[in-house]
Amino acid sequence: MTTTEVPTAAPPKRVAVPGRPARRRREGAAWVFLSPWVLGACVLTLLPMAVSLYLSFTDYDLFNPPSWVGLRNYTQMFTEDPRYWRSVVATLTYVVIAVPLQLALALAVALALKSMRRGRAFYRSAFYAPSLLGASMSIALVWRAIFNDGGTVDNLFGTGGWVNKPGWALFAVALLTVWQFGAPMVIFLAGLLQIPGELYEAAAVDGASRWRQFAHITIPMLSPVLFFNLVLQTIQAFQVFTPAFAVSAGKGGPADSTLFYTLYLYDRGFVASHMGYASAMAWVLLIVIGAVTAVLFRTSRSWVFYASEGDR
Amino acid sequence: MTTATPAVRTSFPWRRIALHVGCLAALLVMLYPLAWLLATSLKPADEVIASLNLLPSRLDWSNYSTALDGVNDVSVAQLLGNSLLIAGGAVVGNVLSCSLAAYAFARLRFRFRGPLFAFMIATIMLPHHAVLIPQYIIFNQLGMVNTYWPLILPKFLATEAFFVFLIVQFMRGLPRELEEAARIDGCGPFRSFFLVILPLTRPALITTAIFTFIWTWNDFFTQLIYLFSPEKFTLTLALRAFVDASSQSSFGPMFAMSVIALLPIVLFFLAFQRFLVEGMASSGVKG
Amino acid sequence: MPGNRTRRSCVTAVVLALCAVLSGCSGGTESGGSGGKVVLRYTWWGNPDRAARTEEAIGLFEKKYPGIEVQSSFSGYDTYKQKLATQAAGGDAPDVMQLDYRMIDQYASGGVLYDLGRQKSVLRTDQIDAGLLATGALDGRQYAVPQGRGTETVVYDAEQWKATGVPLPSGAWTWSEWADAMRALAEKTGAPAATDPGQSEDAFEVWLRGQGKDLYTKDGELGFSADDLTRWWTFTDRLRRDGVVSPAEQTTQLDGTVENTPLGRGKAIVDINWDAPASGFVSLVGEGVTLAPMPSGEDGTPGQYFKPSMFMGIAANTGHPEEAARLIDFMLNDPGAARVLGATRSMPVNETLREEIAPDLKDFDKVINDYHATVEGKLNDPPQAPPSGDSALQTTFQRDYDQVSYERMSPREAAENYITEAKAELRS
Repeated sequence: MTTTEVPTAAPPKRVAVPGRPARRRREGAAWVFLSPWVLGACVLTLLPMAVSLYLSFTDYDLFNPPSWVGLRNYTQMFTEDPRYWRSVVATLTYVVIAVPLQLALALAVALALKSMRRGRAFYRSAFYAPSLLGASMSIALVWRAIFNDGGTVDNLFGTGGWVNKPGWALFAVALLTVWQFGAPMVIFLAGLLQIPGELYEAAAVDGASRWRQFAHITIPMLSPVLFFNLVLQTIQAFQVFTPAFAVSAGKGGPADSTLFYTLYLYDRGFVASHMGYASAMAWVLLIVIGAVTAVLFRTSRSWVFYASEGDR
Repeated sequence: MTTATPAVRTSFPWRRIALHVGCLAALLVMLYPLAWLLATSLKPADEVIASLNLLPSRLDWSNYSTALDGVNDVSVAQLLGNSLLIAGGAVVGNVLSCSLAAYAFARLRFRFRGPLFAFMIATIMLPHHAVLIPQYIIFNQLGMVNTYWPLILPKFLATEAFFVFLIVQFMRGLPRELEEAARIDGCGPFRSFFLVILPLTRPALITTAIFTFIWTWNDFFTQLIYLFSPEKFTLTLALRAFVDASSQSSFGPMFAMSVIALLPIVLFFLAFQRFLVEGMASSGVKG
Repeated sequence: MPGNRTRRSCVTAVVLALCAVLSGCSGGTESGGSGGKVVLRYTWWGNPDRAARTEEAIGLFEKKYPGIEVQSSFSGYDTYKQKLATQAAGGDAPDVMQLDYRMIDQYASGGVLYDLGRQKSVLRTDQIDAGLLATGALDGRQYAVPQGRGTETVVYDAEQWKATGVPLPSGAWTWSEWADAMRALAEKTGAPAATDPGQSEDAFEVWLRGQGKDLYTKDGELGFSADDLTRWWTFTDRLRRDGVVSPAEQTTQLDGTVENTPLGRGKAIVDINWDAPASGFVSLVGEGVTLAPMPSGEDGTPGQYFKPSMFMGIAANTGHPEEAARLIDFMLNDPGAARVLGATRSMPVNETLREEIAPDLKDFDKVINDYHATVEGKLNDPPQAPPSGDSALQTTFQRDYDQVSYERMSPREAAENYITEAKAELRS
């Protein structure tokens, strides 16, 4: 078989439809492969999700039995809770800043590493190092020290502290996420390295420039991975919790400027013991993220290329 | 390596040097906070938080000796062992179960594939705080609280859609002709999964292993909720035991413990990222 | 077909789980014995030092009662709260648990706590001050027993203070005397002298009680008006604007640890804090750390009070209430345990034991004990346990004051906001 054709030209080949018995056997095989997932999805995922959906229509204080209140949690959220809207604005701002920055940085570093002949392992490890830490308590304290009055950033740029100013704290938190770009970088790199070298060789023989190779080989061949990173980072950014929780010591301050959606949700659910309200918040978030993801999937049809052909 | 083309090769020297210089400069900035972490772990108590200097006025190893004493009569060695057990179990579980599910989603046809796939993606859209209590009730009913099962079992049941989706994306990048060739050779879906697809997905599997290890290692929250007995605690849990806002905290030992807890994952990453290199080298699709 | 079967059992399970949540029951804890022993699970929050002392005391208990094995566990306060809430919501609360004043109402009214009155013969409380003991009671039932008590304090670095030449505080003072002193300090040093107390619900409570009011009424309603809160925030807002207390950029970094207070960071001379954590200042600012009483109302009405801390309670669904009560009794009333525990959960509530261990106190434990002696007998009784909405309101209070200190709202606007939010919180 050959894969040396330029991918965009790959015609959708499909072998003749297999006979019915074979198809049934294959369907059976699919369920065997899926069985662990099905079990986990039903017991550990679907069940708790169903419970939380139910709770979102109740008043539930964790200890006393939940009492049905219909849509009250939802109406209260949309009409009577200014802090809720502040958390929505903060979260959207964060998504718009952190996701593109992190992906661009991860892709740039992955591309740089790919074109390296020596020291790739060293650089990959070094660039990944910050991501090993997660958003732990200690890194939060370091972050606060660096972005504080008289901290490193203040000394270098004279900007004053970031973590303690309402207009700036969000950037400090977003930078923490961007700084830990190791995961998308490694995924990009794995994707880049999976592109068969023959493609480039053939293109070079045809005299294609570096840019053309990038646009016509790298990007299409990388598109499934690019798409993966985009979708996952977006989903995760909407749910950003740990970095803000750590840097603001759980308060989402100063002046609610880093009170992200899930931080407020946690606050409502576990600090204020309004688990019904928190569940309603969670389901609204699910719907919003679902809509955004659906849009991304829809657009993916026009720019994501699968070597195994567009069967979805 | 496979990527360089003859045309570019001639102008390489300064170009490559520029690349290295750029990368090193970026690293300098990026590793600064880590240097800070390391330096802080060696600061005397009164400088840990108050001082905004990178370097300690004098090296103070007492933070490390406090941290190495362990917490609540549990030694650091045991905490380390517990962390390794959980992270190791999670790696095995995730690699196995997620690749199985991913193969079905990526390469096989079955009814409700689209909706089930959508549902799988949806499961990572609900903030986990909302499902924490129902999940706790389930594990409690199963008698698994204060065991490692709540931390490991979900990984064997492919509950982490992130990795299923990741492997799906890599598998869909493989040409279909591979299995068709295998089928002509008489391979059923199982043999072509194990013999053809799995080896070619190695970069994704190694990535899954690395991320699972690191993320499970750092997953303070789940460990906190499900583990009760101190002898079952992990390094990540012990780290936080040094901070209690209502009494006197010990930030210095906490930083020392962070460094100690960081070492195993650094080693793990260094060891496994080698396979990432080999993985891609062997995955070049052969004709 | 596999798909079908799994789907049907899913539905059954959903129903089961919903039932479990609905009825709030999820099976009692079966702490079956290992080798015929009764196993008790006991959790508390604290730091490694408290852990070591508690383990030692538990060792004594197990020696005295060979038939009981205690499995204990601890974590920091913030994480402890969430873990305990999850356990209790899951019907899996530990047999014996440490509780905060703010948790009593919620846990007791949620049916999580066992009525200790049923174990009167085992759990002796006659050595505990009646007013203090009553703080663990709700509707006439004793749900928890305080293990210690603490009070707020104006903590300062005497060395830095002396260096300014401003006279040191001498015993009781009023809020305006406190403010004058801070103003004098700030003028001498050219920097804010104290932490802005405006963000602290605790400090506000002291101020409010100095005016003869309370945070909450007996029925758990709000005990003050927007006017009261406006006056408090206007008072602190002016001090902040004049540079007498810490600016918003510093105040917002408070996270409950002494390390992140302006005093702990070396940016101020004075802080308002609880007595027990104040010991943490010694390693940060040196031996000059001194405790002064909280300011009183202008007519001398004391606002501070001995607040019960670190209650012990028993889970309502424990299989071994008697053994659990025995453990609590031991931790409170056993002389051997008291010697081991010392003042790690502040001074013992058992009055005989308190006098017994007082001479052995060392370092800051002694400082705290002496401080308690200076205010003992001059304070009013503690209020009853705050309503369950209070844990959320504590944060709301800080958040609303952030709006004042960052000059996004006037004290009046922020106070009215707070009142609205607090009323909604207390209603639900």
